[in-house]
Amino acid sequence: MSLWKLALLIALFNLMTFGNGPVMIPLLQTHLVNGAGVLTEDQLLYAFTIARVTPGQANFYVASIGYMLYGMPGAVLATLAIMLPGYAMIPLLNGYEHLRYSTWIKGFTKGLTVTSVGLILAAVVQIARGALTQPIAWVVLLATLVMTQLLKWNILVALAVACCLGLLLKWLL
Amino acid sequence: MKKDEDRRQRGGDTARLTRGELFSIFFKAGLAFGGGLGILAVLEDELVSKRRAVSKEEFLTIYGIGRVVPSGTMTALAIAYGYKFGGMLGTVIALAALALPAFVLTIILTVAYHYLRNSRLFELIPVTIMPAALALIVVAALKLGKDVFRPSRELAVACAAFALALFPRLNPALILLAGGVLGAFALRNVEEKKDVDAKEVGK
Repeated sequence: MSLWKLALLIALFNLMTFGNGPVMIPLLQTHLVNGAGVLTEDQLLYAFTIARVTPGQANFYVASIGYMLYGMPGAVLATLAIMLPGYAMIPLLNGYEHLRYSTWIKGFTKGLTVTSVGLILAAVVQIARGALTQPIAWVVLLATLVMTQLLKWNILVALAVACCLGLLLKWLL
Repeated sequence: MKKDEDRRQRGGDTARLTRGELFSIFFKAGLAFGGGLGILAVLEDELVSKRRAVSKEEFLTIYGIGRVVPSGTMTALAIAYGYKFGGMLGTVIALAALALPAFVLTIILTVAYHYLRNSRLFELIPVTIMPAALALIVVAALKLGKDVFRPSRELAVACAAFALALFPRLNPALILLAGGVLGAFALRNVEEKKDVDAKEVGK
C-alpha cells in the first residue's frame, strides 16, 4: 500500500462515515489489518486509545495510523484527508434551506449511525477473538467497561486504573 | 451592555473577529477534552456568550449544517467560522488552530509507541492497553446507539449489520452504505431528539 492509497482510503472512509471516529474502526480493521495486512491490531487499538485520551476531535487517530505507516508525511496526509471534505461546508452555508427540511439526509445519517453500532460491535468481537487470549485481558476489559459505562469515570482515570490492574494481575499470577 | 444593544439594533449585525482572535478561539477549542461536544461547548461560550460574534440561532443553524457535511462536524464548524470571519485564509487559520493540539499530542504518543514496541514492556500491552481500548470502543458504540437498544426498527438494522459483518464477513463499507440507504427510506420519520449527542460522541 502506498502513501497515496492510504490517504485515499482514509478520505473515502471519512466521507462514508461522515467523519465519525469510531465508525471508521470496522472499515480500517477490514482494509488495513485483515486486507492489506500493513497494520496490526495492536497498532489500530493504540491509535484509537490515543484519540480518546488527547483533547480535540476523536477521528484524529488516523494521524497516528499515518505516522505509524509513513512517518510525518503519512500523519499530515491522513489529517488532510479527514479535514478537506469539510470545505463542502462553504457551498452548503448558502443552500441550507434545501437541506434543513431534507428528511432523506436525516434518514441516511440515522441509518449510518444505527448500522455502525452493529458494525463496531462486530469489529470488537473479531478483534477480541484474536487479541484477548489471556484471562487477565478479559478482566481488564470488563473492569474498563464498568468504570466508564456504569461508574462514569473520566476516561483517563479509567484507562490508568485498567492498565495498573492488568499489570498487577500479571505480576501476581 | 449599551454597545451590545446598539449592535443588535443595527440589524442584528454582530462583532467581527480578527485573525488572531480566530486562532485563539479555535486553539482553545482544540484543547477541549471530550471530543465534539467538548469543542462545541467552548465554541458556544466564546462565539455566542462572550464575544457575541454569532447569534444563538446562527450558531445552531451552522451546527445543523455541519452535521450533514461528510467530515468531522467540528472540522466543518472551523471552516464555516473561519470563512465567515476571515475568508479562505480564515478557514486555514481556524483549521490549523483546531487541529494543532490534537495533532501534536497524537504524534508524540505515537512516537512513544515505537519505543514501547522495542522494549520488554511491549509484552504487557495485551493485558493492559489492548483490552482497555476494546472496552472504550464498546462504550463508543453504546453511546452512538443510545436509542438503538430498545425494541425498534433501529435495533433490527443494528443486529442485521452485526450479523452480516461477522458471519458472511461482508465488507463493512458495503453494509454501511446499505444501512444509510435503508435509513433514508425506513428511518426518515423517526423522531431524533437525542441524536445531537449521538453523532458527536465520536469526535
